[in-house]
This record gives sequence, C-alpha cells and structure tokens, in this order.
Amino acid sequence: MKRHIILCAAAAFALSVAAQDFDNNPTVKIDNKEEDLHFTVGARMMMDAAWYHTDFTPMKSGAKLTDARIRTSMAYRNWYFYADFDFSGGKFKQKNIFLQYSFDPDNAYGGIHSIKAGYFNDPAGMARNTSLGSLHFINRAAPTVALCPGRELGIAYKYYNNPFYSNIGVFAENLYNDQPSGYQGVAVGGRWLYRPINDGTTAFHIGASFHYENLNVGKTENNVKMTELVLGTPMETLVDDTQFVEAILPYARNVYNIGAEVLYVSPKFFARAEYMWKHVTKKRDDQTLFEANLGSIDSWGTLESWQNGNPLGSNSFNGAYIEAGYKIFGPDYRYNSAEGLLGGLSGRSLEIVARYSYTGLNDKVDGEYYSAGRDQYYPNGMIADYPATSLSIGGGNLHSVTVGANFSFNKFVQVMLEYNYNHLDRDKYMEDSNFNCIQGRLMFSF
Amino acid sequence: MSKCFIKVGCLSAVTILALASCQEEQDFTNVNVDATRVSVNTISPEMAKVRDYVPQYAVMAHRGSTFWGPEETEAAWRWAREMGADYLESDLQCTKDGVILANHDENLCRTTNIENVYGEYVPQTRKDFYMAHGATAAQAEEWYKADVASFRPYYAMSYMYEELLALDAGTWFNESSLEQARNNFSPKSPDNPMGQHQYVSALSDQIAFAEGKILKRNADGERIYSVTGTWDPANPRDCLTYTLEYEADPEDTGNRPGIYIEFKESWLNPSDFEQRVYDELDRLGWNIITRPCDGVPNYKNGKVNVGNANGKVVLQTFSLESLRRTAGVFKGQIPMCFLLWEGKGATDLKVNTPQGYADFINMALENKAHIIGPSIAGAPNNYGELDAPWQAYLIARAKMLNHPYSFDSYAQMGKYMGQYNWGNTTQFDDLLGVTVDGKLWTVYLNGLFTNRSELTLRYLIENGFRCNPQFDNASAPAYVPDPVETLERLGY
Repeated sequence: MKRHIILCAAAAFALSVAAQDFDNNPTVKIDNKEEDLHFTVGARMMMDAAWYHTDFTPMKSGAKLTDARIRTSMAYRNWYFYADFDFSGGKFKQKNIFLQYSFDPDNAYGGIHSIKAGYFNDPAGMARNTSLGSLHFINRAAPTVALCPGRELGIAYKYYNNPFYSNIGVFAENLYNDQPSGYQGVAVGGRWLYRPINDGTTAFHIGASFHYENLNVGKTENNVKMTELVLGTPMETLVDDTQFVEAILPYARNVYNIGAEVLYVSPKFFARAEYMWKHVTKKRDDQTLFEANLGSIDSWGTLESWQNGNPLGSNSFNGAYIEAGYKIFGPDYRYNSAEGLLGGLSGRSLEIVARYSYTGLNDKVDGEYYSAGRDQYYPNGMIADYPATSLSIGGGNLHSVTVGANFSFNKFVQVMLEYNYNHLDRDKYMEDSNFNCIQGRLMFSF
Repeated sequence: MSKCFIKVGCLSAVTILALASCQEEQDFTNVNVDATRVSVNTISPEMAKVRDYVPQYAVMAHRGSTFWGPEETEAAWRWAREMGADYLESDLQCTKDGVILANHDENLCRTTNIENVYGEYVPQTRKDFYMAHGATAAQAEEWYKADVASFRPYYAMSYMYEELLALDAGTWFNESSLEQARNNFSPKSPDNPMGQHQYVSALSDQIAFAEGKILKRNADGERIYSVTGTWDPANPRDCLTYTLEYEADPEDTGNRPGIYIEFKESWLNPSDFEQRVYDELDRLGWNIITRPCDGVPNYKNGKVNVGNANGKVVLQTFSLESLRRTAGVFKGQIPMCFLLWEGKGATDLKVNTPQGYADFINMALENKAHIIGPSIAGAPNNYGELDAPWQAYLIARAKMLNHPYSFDSYAQMGKYMGQYNWGNTTQFDDLLGVTVDGKLWTVYLNGLFTNRSELTLRYLIENGFRCNPQFDNASAPAYVPDPVETLERLGY
C-alpha cells in the first residue's frame, strides 16, 4: 500500500515535456529525481457557443462542451509516454496514446532523432498536427478536416535540427473496433520542413507532406468486400457538426495525399498556409459482382456490359487555407522546432486572427444532370430510368472566411470570439449558399 | 483590462445564446415553412394554356374501375363513360407486332388467363401466324426459334396482339371480387349465353368506348377483326395492320369522356413508344396537335364532352425516360401528368423533402409536364403520402394541376378535398383555399383518379365542385346513375 501511495504521490508532480495535442506545459508535475522519473497530469475543457444563420437548412445554434480532455504523461530517461482521453458529450474517446524514445542529440548536426509508437496523428499535414488548443481558431480549417489524415496506429521516426525537420511513419488501417471484414490496410505518411529562418524569435519554414494509404477493411455484400472512404467536414464550427460537405467513395482502395505548407512566425505576427491534394483510386471485384447479378431475365449479359453500366473511376479533391494573426499584446508567438508548429497563446495576451479556406469535394463529370429528388447524377445530362452509374462526386465546394479575436487571461484561461462565413456549392443543398456563424469559446487547460 | 474582457466575453456569450433562442425560422426543418420558400419553377404561359384544357376537378375513372368490373376492359370503360367520368384512364404497353394495348401490370398474369392458355411458352400458334402472313415453313421455324430464345413469358412485348385476343380478361375479376362478380364479364358459352368476352383492350378500343361505341361481335360473341400484311422480323411493329371493328353502343347516353393514358416503364416498351402513341392518336383523330378542338366545351347539355374538346387526351407516366421522350414528341402541346411514387426504385421520389419534391416538380416542368400526380394515403391501398398539404402547396406554387391517385373511399375524398378542415383557415389558403357557396375549403387537388367514379362524382356535385359555373363545369351531368343499375343496363 505504501508503494502505491508513493506512486500516487509521484503523480502529483509534473514534467516539462512537449505533449501531443496540448502544447502548453502541464502544471501538475511530479519529479522523482532518484529514479529520473517525471510524471504529469492535466486537463482541458472547451465550451463553445454558436449562433448560426443560414439560407435554408437550419443549423442548431446553442452551446456545447466540445472538449473535455484528461491527459497524462511520464518520462523516464529517454523514454516518454503520453495519453489523453476525451469525455465531451458524455462519450469516451481515445485520443493520443503513445510511447516515444528520443536518442541523444546528434553532435555533428545538433539534431534529435526519436521514434514514436502508438496512436497519434499521422505526420502528414501541419494543421492536423496542431493541437486544437493552440490553433488560434475555434476549429481547424475545413479542408484539413476533410482531406488530411488524422490519428492512426503505428510507428514514426522523426529527426529535426535547427534548419530541418523530417517525420515519417507507418500505420495500420486501425478502425477503432470497427473492422467488419478484411485484413487491415497500411498507410505511410511523412512531413518534411526546411527552415531558412529559425533564430528563436522569428521562424520561417516551407514544407511538404505525403501520405499514402491502402484501404482494405470493408463490409461484405454479395460475397464481395466493399471498402469505403468517407470524406467530409462540418462548417468551421463544432456546436453543429453536420457535415454539409461530404463525399462517400465506395470501393476506394488507394489514397494519395500530397501537401505543401509555409509558416512564418515573428514575435507579433504569424502567417501560415497549406495546400492539400487528395487522389483516390478504386478497386472492385467486377467478376464476382457480375456473376452475382446473373440468374434473372434482367441480368447483364456480359461482364463488359455490366462494367459499362457500372463504371468505376478515380477521384481527386483539393483544398487550401491561409491564416494569419497579430498579437496586440502579450508574450511573443512561439515556434516549436521539435514539431514544426506554431504554439498557442501563453500568458495574458490579446490577438486578432483571420483565415480564408477552400475545400473542394466536388469532382463532377461535365454535363451530368443532378436530381435532388433522387440525390442522383445522370450521365449525359439526361434523365433515364436505368442510367449508367455516374462517376460524379458532388461532395461540395466550400469557401470560408473567418475573423476573430482571442484573449488569454493567463496561461490557463482563454476566450475566443469569431465570425465565420461559409459559401457552399453543393447540389444536394441547392437552396443553401450562405452560412453565417458567430461563435465563442471559453477554454481552460492546465 | 481583464475585467473589461470578462465583460466583453460574457456579453458575447449572452448575445450568441440570445440570438440562438430567437431565430424561429431556422429553429428546425419545418416542411410547411420550407414549402413556401424552396425554389420551384412556374409553368410558362404557353404551357398554362394547355394545362387549362383539362377541366377543373376532373374525375378520372382509374382503369375504368377496379371496384365494379374487370379493369381496362370494355365493361369497365363503358361503365365509367355512362357514370359520367371525365376521363377513361389506362396503362399503355406495346405488343410484339406493334399494337398499343392497355394493361396495368408489367405482365398479363393477374388480369387474364394467360398462364392457362399459353403457359410459359411461345404460343404454339406462332408458326401458323407467321405462315398466315407470308412466311415459308422454314422461315416460320427459324423465326419461332428466335422467338423462343428471346421470350419473356406473360409480357405483352412477347406476344402478337392476335394471340392476346384469345385471352379472357374478365373472369379473373369474378374470382377475385366475389361481391361484384357478374357472369357476363365472362365469355359467352352454353352455360353463359349472355356472356361478353372481355378482351385485352387496344388503345383504339379505349378510344372507341369513349366515343360511345362498343366492340363489334359475331354471333358467338367474339369480336370481329382482321390482320393483314406480311411479317417482317426486321420491322415487326410496323409490318401488320389490325382492323378492329366497332359499332355504336345502343346503351350510349351521350357522355364523351377523354382518355388519360399512361406510358408504362420504359423497359416494357420500344424506345419510340411515345412516337407510336402520337401516331396512333393521329390515326384515330384524337391528336389535338394535328386536329385541334378549339372552342369546344368540356361539358355540354348535361353531358361530358371532354372527348370532343382540346383536353380529350391527357398523358401520364412514372418513368423519367418516358417523361423526357414525351416532351420531345408531344412538345408540351398535350396535357402531361408526371406521377409520383415514393421509394427507392429507379423512378421513385427518394428524397421526400420540400427540396426533393420541388426538384421533381421542376424536372416535370423542364420536361413539359402540366400536372403532378402524387399518391395518397389511406385504405385500401395505403400508398405513401405524397399529397400532404405542403406538397399540394408546392404543386400549386408551380401553377401545375394536382391529380392525386387513387381514391377508393369517401374518407379519402373528404380528407383531400379539405372537408375535414371543417372550414378553418390554414396556412396554405392563399393558394389552396377555395370558397364554395360561402364556405372555405382548403383543397389539395385539382382532379381525382378514382376507382369509385359514382362516389367521387356525387361528392363533387353535392359539395358544389361540379355543376357549378364557378368552376366552368355548370353543364356537367348533374345526376349520377346507380352503379349497379348501370352495369345491368349495359348487359353485365
């Protein structure tokens, strides 16, 4: 019992180690110098309120607890373990949980090598690797939600020094207890940065990212496994998280992401932008599906005719955002070299921010007719009773503009206020073009 | 400074929550509100003229009648004509040799004895048919084998019309509707000397009945017809000519209803089916595009006269493909009804929301339709509800006519005529409100597909919707005959 009490007491001390998804230093730290053991525990709460005004489809204005996170970490010599969990909405959600080993600094280049294993963000992409609490906006730019990979289960190798940053990982297609059939696929992702300026007060980096994913888990129908990829994003708000932009891609098999990014940070100003392109190829067991269609007087007569009536095509999507902030007062903006990311507000401060983003999930074939009454595209622009399957994907294009102000009372408490305008172009929501949102957040973390 | 930001933060939060609580219009998806603001097109003035060919509160005798007699036969349509219905309704398909006939189901099993007569085989008489129309024995054998290879049992497309004339389309009704059964719906026989063989009707039969005629029959009670021409397998639908004979109906009392004809699913018919119907109407003098009837009233001297007026033919379809093709052939110059059915089938309305419904209306207008035909709820069919108040309002916003289907009861008529609103005002009265004799009705239709013409006609007359100059139908028949006495008078 005494040992347990000691361990628990140890948990009351914290360690200053940069953490995934929380980039502020934990307050509750436990240091056991004899064992070289450092333990932290922390929490974060975000409460959002939003008012929406739309052209047609209502969004649900109100308030919501959008984040209720508990985190813990432990460092022992070169080992670092981190885990955080979310309980917002009354649901338990596993967030990050990983173990990291950092090698001793490379004397020749002053760099640090590390290996991380567990469940954490795929390295590809800047915004998805930035903690929501450090984002300077109430939600991530819509294109990053729609197009960038998120957390995955795998192992990553990172190397960085002052001018360079490289982070690559290999991941399993872990669907978090939702694996109907099929072996898990595999994903590889990486992010590479070059920092011509990184002097402790000012930083400028340009970078690229790549992600490849082979999808293999799917549901089985007609003795054929059907993989599916769903891309989507709500408006840049979390109170109503309806995915007004959404593309469902049956038989998606290979997913390629290519991204480019740029970030500039000075003591009072930051600007960053990211472009992402996603290409999805598909694979289907045509022969088995064709054979399954046989046996009726209306069956397709040949495999070729079946394929002509049920074509399968690849799709491409893209998105981008550019955002900037200006610090009116407060501690300088910080650039985190270890992660290649902008830090959040720290200490009493006030900033104003602005963002424009574009999300493109429309990949439509020219000249096709869309029927909202059937939510269906018709090839050749003609309605028909039994048209060939359309290759069009009408997931929607979204332009969003955000302006906001964030005030941090101290290192723990922050309020955010934003006006967010979204212009939607999606056939399914043909009555909707303009979505206005005023939203605020109260955030507390320690 | 901190206090200032606390105040600003609190004020902002209160403002957001206050705004959230006072925006009634966006509070939830309200179909009644959305029906007033969703984008829906409006019928063009040119199309509106054609729309107005159709009489207000028209009564469409659904398949003649499904209640009183065998549907889509001489018996059902004669009865409907004599009852005073405005339209004889039918479903059109095409035989292998190009005759346009009326049959509701995709096959002939339910409404004929085809399973007993032919089974699932090409009729044994097929080779004789070929040889009677110019084929050698070898050719007949070759063509018969080809027929076997492509045969689709019980579907009209696989049979010659002459083969279908051997079927009995009346007796099944007696077996399935015991309370309305009548021996004379069955063919004449020693045991049934007054029997009137009910045939699978051709479109020309339907038109003849609307014109006050009956089938010309021989002493055995069989219809008189002839088939001429040489069979050409490369041109099967245009190589033969049927001459179907008719004579004046001695029981005709002068009503001249129009016809309301449906193009069935596109895969049941040849791709030029709409053109074929156009040509057949032309041949029979019922194509108002080539033979307009300008100035002829829909009612005259207490009789239905729709069959002599510009509204004599109304087209209808569920098929998207047929809707498009009809627009190409008829060019919106004959009233056209786009029928709605909710479901996941190939032509169904899948998204039954104001946006989805408005999209179907817009699609109908783009394809030159003038009328929407939604299904209605209620026993005995219990179809899906597609004529709810908000849906009727959307149709009215498009300035199209609303012809829901199909009515079987007084309760259904009361509901969709707005009787059960009890004179209260509703939010849709600006377009659906009708005042009759000082009483407000919110009417969710402009015409009715009915299986009970006698009930529907009486309902409309008794409530002032028919025989009323307000609706331009003052000269419609004011008396609805007894349905049973009418059947007996017609010889059934």
